[in-house]
Amino acid sequence: MNALLKRIFPHPRWAVISVPYLWLLVFFAIPFLIVLKISFSRLAIAMPPYTPVLEYVDNALSLKLNLSNYIGLFTDSQYVQAYLSSIKIAAISTFLALLIGYPMAYVIARLPSSARNIAMMLVILPSWTSFLIRVYAWIGILKPNGLLNNLLMKLHLISEPLQIANTPTAAYIGIVYCYLPFMVLPLYTNLVKHDHRLLEAAYDLGAKPWKAFFKITLPLSKAGIIAGCMLVMIPAVGEFVIPELLGGPDTLMIGRVLWNEFFNNRDWPTASAVAIVMLGLLLIPILIFNRVQQSEIEGRLT
Amino acid sequence: MATEQLNGTKNTAGNARPVEDYLRIVDVRKEFDGFVAVEDTDLSIHKGEIFALLGGSGCGKSTLLRCLGGFEKPTSGKIYLDGQIMNDLPPYERPINMMFQSYALFPHMTVEQNIAFGLKQDGLSKDAIKKRVDEMLALVQLGKLAKRKPHQLSGGQQQRVALARSLAKGPKLLLLDEPMGALDKKLRSQMQLELVNIIETSGVTCVMVTHDQEEAMTMATRIALMDSGRIRQVGTPDEIYESPTSRFAAEFIGSVNMFQGKVDEDMADYVTILSPSLDTPIYVGHGISGFEGQEVSFGVRPEKVHISKEEPDQRYNKARGKIEDIAYFGSHSVFHVRLPSAYKFMANFANQQRWASEGMTWGDEVWVSWGDNEGVVLTS
Repeated sequence: MNALLKRIFPHPRWAVISVPYLWLLVFFAIPFLIVLKISFSRLAIAMPPYTPVLEYVDNALSLKLNLSNYIGLFTDSQYVQAYLSSIKIAAISTFLALLIGYPMAYVIARLPSSARNIAMMLVILPSWTSFLIRVYAWIGILKPNGLLNNLLMKLHLISEPLQIANTPTAAYIGIVYCYLPFMVLPLYTNLVKHDHRLLEAAYDLGAKPWKAFFKITLPLSKAGIIAGCMLVMIPAVGEFVIPELLGGPDTLMIGRVLWNEFFNNRDWPTASAVAIVMLGLLLIPILIFNRVQQSEIEGRLT
Repeated sequence: MATEQLNGTKNTAGNARPVEDYLRIVDVRKEFDGFVAVEDTDLSIHKGEIFALLGGSGCGKSTLLRCLGGFEKPTSGKIYLDGQIMNDLPPYERPINMMFQSYALFPHMTVEQNIAFGLKQDGLSKDAIKKRVDEMLALVQLGKLAKRKPHQLSGGQQQRVALARSLAKGPKLLLLDEPMGALDKKLRSQMQLELVNIIETSGVTCVMVTHDQEEAMTMATRIALMDSGRIRQVGTPDEIYESPTSRFAAEFIGSVNMFQGKVDEDMADYVTILSPSLDTPIYVGHGISGFEGQEVSFGVRPEKVHISKEEPDQRYNKARGKIEDIAYFGSHSVFHVRLPSAYKFMANFANQQRWASEGMTWGDEVWVSWGDNEGVVLTS
């Protein structure tokens, strides 16, 4: 009995290692395969609303891969536009988050260590309240008679309310706001490890402070910048809630297309194809990220 | 301007400047929130010398070095280098380069790029930079490793890169912060001499900071001994070792048998001192600037002491005791002899013949003695 057990589980450490793999299998691989399968099926008025891909009829096993969903995605300019617009919005948001997040992380990393933890706490604290509530709060701030417009009117900076709510601008604000902690966190973790003496060495060798920053601090925080950008960019591409609530009809994002196909048109096969292509698009930056991290780790070990 | 600097290092012998005050530290004082790290300090450092600031941790030596580098601003006082006042120059405008403790090499740059960094800041042409980098690589014999990153180098190699980087701009003054701190003991003694060779080849004036007396004595032409923010003594290594001017100096460098006593006879050509630790008076073969009855310390180093089983043929400067401990160092042994007064006396015995120290062992009654001029009388 014992020998049999040992055969099945050669070492207790396999039990530990297998947990994340099991997790990935159940919660990623299987759902992904189901979606992949649906993306190759045809729309049908049935329950579930698509035709089977794999069929066993009259002693014949037939696999019918229907590619029309994918072809549709690339021929219908609406989808292509939605993808491009998603990537554009995510990229600009990521860049803005980096512009705001880098100085934040830099200053926090320079604070005395007791103040650092409090400052990081303040960065993370908002995410303890519901994401949805925080996005709703922005509606209150940005709407024509909202907080921001009232304030600007009171200060006589503007004579009539700015139309920010329900525009792409509002979507940018929402995305940057919601994902900023994900930018600050990896940057901070990177910057706080920097050795101040490297900067002193740069000054000593004749570099003015701003030059030392660009030659030393910035290149050394590359890993943190990439990590932060990935953590913001990847979820931002597929973002649905923020453009839906804040962005108005002009904000075209793939998440909304997906929602429409799935819930409004009940076109599961097309919705699945949209999701699969989106995943493919996101895989490229993820692979780049992985490679950079890998080389970083290898560089440190050799 | 930069090319002038470069040439300057090559023919230092040609520029005959007043030797005395190449680097002058005048009344420099540094306080941190009321804590005085460096008290009003005066120092003159000659051109081309390797000067060591020696002292225990927290004695202010690093703060003083950082004041020279421009990383700390003196609370008061002035620093002149080659006649030019340094106080208000930021580090990036000073003709001073520093080799940092554990080197602070830029991890994302190759050896070459590290060395070229300072030259690039001067806006030199690509060819000039390349030429100078190659020169520096040849000087520290690292030509083959030019494309490596710092983490691919050994500790000794990293040190040489750091040295090359700080010498590349041909600074007027080179600062070394605990240069051997990151090396293991064996490599240390080898690199000490190598470093001195390279620095002397480049002819640069050098101020180093160290807590290791051996390192200071090996590398430096002169040493300033520091204690709690103050300079206690300045001198060549042998001056400080053989004629310390204070108990602190005598005890900090090397080991010493120190006696408290009172001046008994104060003559022009000799002095005797009575110490409760010794039965016979201490006889010093020269006059001192003191008076009869003055409280003084007398120190004699263990290697100046003779140890034998026979009573030495002299009236003074001897004591009888029992061997309590023997520390065997290979080249010599240190005998710890307990005197009747309970004083523990250290005497070195050079192991010139194999097994020679075997003649004396634990518990043996022995005599320790020293010559009239082998000890120092200290009044502070």
